[in-house]
Amino acid sequence: MTATLLLQSALVGITNGFVYALVGLGIAVVFRGTRIINAMQGEFALIGGMVAYIALERAGASMPLALVGGVLAGGLLGLLVEMLLVRPTRRRGGSEESYLLLTLGIAFAISAAVLLLLGRDSHPLPGIGGDGSQIVFDAAIRVHALWLMLISAVGMVLLWFFYHRTRVGLSMTAASIDAEGASTIGINVSLMRTLTFLLGGLIGGLAGVLVGPLITVHYEMGLMLTLKGFAAAILGGLTNPFGAIVGGLTLGLVESLAVLTLSSGYKDVIAMTILIAIMILLPNGMLGRRGRRGG
Amino acid sequence: MGRSPGAGPLAWIAAAALLAAWAGAPLVASRSVVDILVFTGLYTIAGLGVTFLLGQCGIVSLAQSVFYGIGAYASAYCTTHYGWPAPAGFGAGMGVSALIALAVGWPVLRLSGYFLALATLALAIIGHVLFTEWDWLTGGTLGIGGIRALAPFGFQLNSPQRFYYFVWPIAGLLLWLHYNLLHSRTGFAMHAMRDAPAAAQVLGVDTHALKVKIFVLSAVLGALAGSLFAHYVTFVSVDSFGVDRAINFLLLAVLGGAKTIVGAVLGALFITVMPHVLSQFGDVHAVLFAVCLIAAVIFLPEGFGGALQRALRRTPAER
Repeated sequence: MTATLLLQSALVGITNGFVYALVGLGIAVVFRGTRIINAMQGEFALIGGMVAYIALERAGASMPLALVGGVLAGGLLGLLVEMLLVRPTRRRGGSEESYLLLTLGIAFAISAAVLLLLGRDSHPLPGIGGDGSQIVFDAAIRVHALWLMLISAVGMVLLWFFYHRTRVGLSMTAASIDAEGASTIGINVSLMRTLTFLLGGLIGGLAGVLVGPLITVHYEMGLMLTLKGFAAAILGGLTNPFGAIVGGLTLGLVESLAVLTLSSGYKDVIAMTILIAIMILLPNGMLGRRGRRGG
Repeated sequence: MGRSPGAGPLAWIAAAALLAAWAGAPLVASRSVVDILVFTGLYTIAGLGVTFLLGQCGIVSLAQSVFYGIGAYASAYCTTHYGWPAPAGFGAGMGVSALIALAVGWPVLRLSGYFLALATLALAIIGHVLFTEWDWLTGGTLGIGGIRALAPFGFQLNSPQRFYYFVWPIAGLLLWLHYNLLHSRTGFAMHAMRDAPAAAQVLGVDTHALKVKIFVLSAVLGALAGSLFAHYVTFVSVDSFGVDRAINFLLLAVLGGAKTIVGAVLGALFITVMPHVLSQFGDVHAVLFAVCLIAAVIFLPEGFGGALQRALRRTPAER
């Protein structure tokens, strides 16, 4: 095994890791704000990718506009899902299972709707900054992958500021830690839950427009993204959105380095085995923060 | 629970009518409809395992497709490759499933709630990848063909009608055993574990061992259904054992009503008949199916079985 090959795999792993981190970040944000495991986080990415694709290829929009459109579409979907479906379920006293099944059902519906709209074909999105590559110490990395890392990193920093420095972000945290207490000091808890889904949708949409050029937009892409995102979020401890970043990068790296020694078909087996092992052995994630279940 | 609702003459007439409808269905229905009803029977058996785990132990299992696959491949491989008789294939499938369920269930069932659900989903993915990669055993995407039809006592079960009269009595028998188990000492221990885990432990119920036992039982049911499936369609490939199948089995349990006995049947009817009914609307049928599903989750949290039970219980009171 040469050093170049190792570096090449590491670069692929980090690129994938950022994608897993973004999806995991969305799952962690939604879980932190609503205590719901969102099994349709990957579908936010699907819708984001699809809208960007339609805007670029069919409506002839410019690249930045298409990207923003994709991100906003994810957010809008999050908003609609919360107001039209999650809220009625909550009113009827939803249990953990019913939210899981509800979001799974929505994931099916969206996947089926995209199949109807776009058909069975894969639709590649053009990469940001063209489809060229950059050479890093003999190893090649796509220019798009560099943009992906940069944009995700900026998004993550912005999210940190949102949670720690803005009134809405702090209110969201308060509402999730102690709903009753938050409402006594005038925080609209139900609005915060809606905003949580909006935020989760925006992050999912961003993941979609960024991953589109790598894995193409395809009606079945959502479920696997969701699962890898789960693995990332759980590695990071689930309630800590920024743990998902560490989790995603770890997962991406381990996956791509493991492929060097095993057949590439086993990539998902490795990722899923890690997921199960971490849940059993490190119940609070790698960062060891307490309270996977609590605030 | 326990008291069968309204056990008057009306109930007997209803039961007799149901039985007549069941027995007469293959005589009047078209071949494709009977084919669907055979699948309803197969899914009832596999889904019963999931229903049991969810309704009696509160365990969300998305791994049933793995055991369904193991059963199907065991039957396919043993009968075509080794030329073993069919019962040996059934035995191999159920045996291997039980062992894997024991080995995997022991550590994984320490988890609970969402995390257990995710772990079982991860198992379903691992299973599907291994079914694809181990093509020396499973034939990969090409699959294994030429599996003989079952022939109990020399009677060839080579048409949907014949298989229908074979699979449903098995399903019925399993439902009856399920009912008996629920009303046994173990059944009460399971209820206690589901509703008050701490109290059950104090009373000396080894909850972890009990969960593992039920998980193994559920896996055996999945393998049995898988073996029957392999002999029915005579061809198996990885497409039948994907994550979507696992999700279908869970939906079956939830939609049917995991806490009721008839839930598995009602859920299986929904997931097999509904897509067929909706397919006349053309390409949107998948969307419509998912919408039905969302509606059922929101409006019938107890499932069809729960709704039916409530309706039956209400009728005598209104008289």
